[in-house]
Amino acid sequence: MDWLEQELRDALARKEPPADFASRVVRRAERPVYRFPRWLAAAAAVIVLAGAGLEYRQYRGEQAKEQLLQAFKIASVKVNHIQTEVQGVGK
Amino acid sequence: MIELETRPEIALDFSELVREHQSMVFSVCWHFLHDRDLAEDVAQEVFLGLHRNMASIQSASHAGHWLRKVAVQRAIDAGRRRVRRPQVALADVAEPVADTPVRDPMLKETLRRLIATLAETPRMVMILRYQEDLDPTEIGQVMDMPVATVKSHLQRSLALLREKLTRRGVREDRWTG
Repeated sequence: MDWLEQELRDALARKEPPADFASRVVRRAERPVYRFPRWLAAAAAVIVLAGAGLEYRQYRGEQAKEQLLQAFKIASVKVNHIQTEVQGVGK
Repeated sequence: MIELETRPEIALDFSELVREHQSMVFSVCWHFLHDRDLAEDVAQEVFLGLHRNMASIQSASHAGHWLRKVAVQRAIDAGRRRVRRPQVALADVAEPVADTPVRDPMLKETLRRLIATLAETPRMVMILRYQEDLDPTEIGQVMDMPVATVKSHLQRSLALLREKLTRRGVREDRWTG
């Protein structure tokens, strides 16, 4: 081994971490891990999706109802207009 | 509803493994990252990974190999994630004092800083060679790299360091006495 390699060995000698490193790691590792069961997560996802689906259906229903009422209004105005015209012809 | 997961049965073995290998894991991270706080964080994550994988660890020596390999990978990943390259640029490396006596501590720091300027793969190869005293075959296994590539990195890095030290006026006869 030449001088540079010897110097490298010295320069890269192992270093000790802080004195409390090991105890901190062990404490962190032993900290309880809370985990939701998979079936619960899946059930929650299904409920959320079903709820969202219902909401969307209701929203589309409301939209359709409004469009129908609007159509009725327009048709009613037209019918009134035609009725007025027809009555005018007889006179 | 919520499962509480504790693993007290492996706590003793795990803490022994931490104490046994902490300087190896921490040093790999520290020498590679040249940042003490980051090295400590990465080393902690390495051991927490070991704790999660304790079921697959068959022996103390297996744990040692596992830790070394994961420390190498995590240190490289952390280096890539870091916004800046190692906070050491060649221009910042202090010049060793010309007439320093044998084994000047400043020279060690200069060498560490020069190593920190190497690209990530040769830097890790040098750390495994001179910190961990691994031979090229073992380094190849840890880094999933052909032995010839490891040897090539070692030769090129040594030549580069020699050249940079010589350019800075550091000669062999100055510190071998």
